[in-house]
Amino acid sequence: MSSHSAESVDPGKVSLWDYEHHGHDPISTRTLGFWLYMLSDAMIFAALFAAYGVYVRNAAGGPTEADIIHPIYAMWESVVVFTSVFAYGLGMAALKKGNRAGVINGLLAAFALGLVFLGMEYKEFADLIADGAVPQRSGFLSAYWTIVLTHGLHMIFGLLWMLVMLFQVMREGFTQNVVYRLINLRLFWHFQAIIWVCVFTFVYLKGVL
Amino acid sequence: MSHGHDNPLDHPEVQLASPRGYLVGYVFALAMMILSLGLVKSHALPPAGLMTVLSIIALVVILAQLYFLFHLDLSETQIWHTVALVMTVPLFIMAVGLTIWMFYTLHMRTMIPGLG
Repeated sequence: MSSHSAESVDPGKVSLWDYEHHGHDPISTRTLGFWLYMLSDAMIFAALFAAYGVYVRNAAGGPTEADIIHPIYAMWESVVVFTSVFAYGLGMAALKKGNRAGVINGLLAAFALGLVFLGMEYKEFADLIADGAVPQRSGFLSAYWTIVLTHGLHMIFGLLWMLVMLFQVMREGFTQNVVYRLINLRLFWHFQAIIWVCVFTFVYLKGVL
Repeated sequence: MSHGHDNPLDHPEVQLASPRGYLVGYVFALAMMILSLGLVKSHALPPAGLMTVLSIIALVVILAQLYFLFHLDLSETQIWHTVALVMTVPLFIMAVGLTIWMFYTLHMRTMIPGLG
């Protein structure tokens, strides 16, 4: 595997990132691959923000931004999201030391805070339904529901993934596969904090200028 | 740089984790979001100026998170992650900026004020 002679290159055996002769590196290739996936996921949000920017003035006589947006409530949601991301980060710092209890605690804290966030979002949208601010009411409301709930859907899938990782860490310990999945979930979870900065600024704060 | 393959915890992607970096990213993001909220609540500037300031704050927070949470930098371990992001930025600008600009000018040119 480490003998690289210039005249005999077998395309089936060349590993793309093996430019320093240190063999196949599954953790690096899988985290880079997942990062590329996250960038394509970011393009989905780019499309949603573009649609929101176009539809935001089209309230069709229904509730407008200023009527349905509560920035202080959203600030508490920000606190919960950022704390959850921080808890996951602390779990990754425990992983660095091979501390299994620290990783499990970090995952559990991030999971619990993620549930709190979803509960807050559930209340927010239950209130919208009670006020008749349903997505089919206007172009603005369609865009608003879609962009905020797409972030919420990401949070739900992140929580499911976290649950799976809790079981895998407990059952298998820090094998190569578990470790790269923990790193990928870190990318995914921290990415939700970046999206939330955009949602909070360009949807919630902009709505009450 | 050669790293061990026997123990996945020795991998640079694992060893990048830094509790101090996560703390800085956490406190900075929260402080900036509270600052943004305060600016909006106190109507510190006219709406257009306020929107510019909010956008700049959001951009700075995102850059800080990319550095402190995602560890994006020019090191050998992370350079390809950084390059991939930089190559995606023009797509964000085209997707969001050009779409909104296009519909905004379309609106300006077709919806004559006072007639609709």
